[in-house]
Amino acid sequence: MAKQSAQLSEVFYALADPTRRAIVSALGRGPEAVSVLAAPFAMALPSFLKHLSVLERSGVIRSHKLGRVRTCELVPKTLTPAQRWLAEQRATWESRSERMARFVETLHQEDLSRAKRQPRQR
Amino acid sequence: MPNDNRVNADPLDLVISRLVRAPRASLWRAWSDPALLRQWWCPKPWTTEVRAFDQRPGGAFHTFMRGPDGGTSDNPGCFLEVVAQQRIVFTSLLGAGWRPATPWLAFSAVVTMADEGDGTRYIATVMHPDKATRDRHEEMGFFDGWNTCITQLEAFARQSL
Repeated sequence: MAKQSAQLSEVFYALADPTRRAIVSALGRGPEAVSVLAAPFAMALPSFLKHLSVLERSGVIRSHKLGRVRTCELVPKTLTPAQRWLAEQRATWESRSERMARFVETLHQEDLSRAKRQPRQR
Repeated sequence: MPNDNRVNADPLDLVISRLVRAPRASLWRAWSDPALLRQWWCPKPWTTEVRAFDQRPGGAFHTFMRGPDGGTSDNPGCFLEVVAQQRIVFTSLLGAGWRPATPWLAFSAVVTMADEGDGTRYIATVMHPDKATRDRHEEMGFFDGWNTCITQLEAFARQSL
């Protein structure tokens, strides 16, 4: 289970980035050469390749090289429906906790600055 | 503590732990005032309406969320345990007055807050019943393939930015 959840968090990390999600969406239409995949993105190729390697490490995509052309494709089995379900629940609660934490921290900062201002008013 | 089951955690349990840089009292405010809770409960641009918030055992806890595309999510439930500034337990499996319910998403959640250094350790444990429930979601067409997953993850990631 530990191994499984480690993989799940890698998958989630991989999909947490908009560029990488766009890559995954593009690959949803079928396998594609790296150069073709990279074309719509306004970024240097090395940066783009870094995104690909994060996706590949997580197991979301795989690639193979034929001659000078590297082709990428989705590995749809990375997330089984069960894992997907749990990933969605986790995403819901993780982002909710994150929003709550930020909200509370801001609340606290406001309280502090109000407390600082008050003695001066007296 | 009855629900402190981190030791024998089930694979269907989620445990989220976070150190919040604020005192426990601030955290409690965010969890006990519905006007504050609605501000962080769901991801923007979705909005939360707190339809019932009776924070005591058996009291209703009902949120209703609206999305920009007309989507809604109705989540009635009730509080099971409330210890000020320490612990909140709630579930979707019971409604107000512990009336049994058949929710679309069955879960119980245990939220704890404890002092840690200058801040507060916040732990949310969300428990899901069993594989059958999950499979029923699947039959209901909960998973519309890869793209649904991506769209949802995208929404989740956007909200936390």
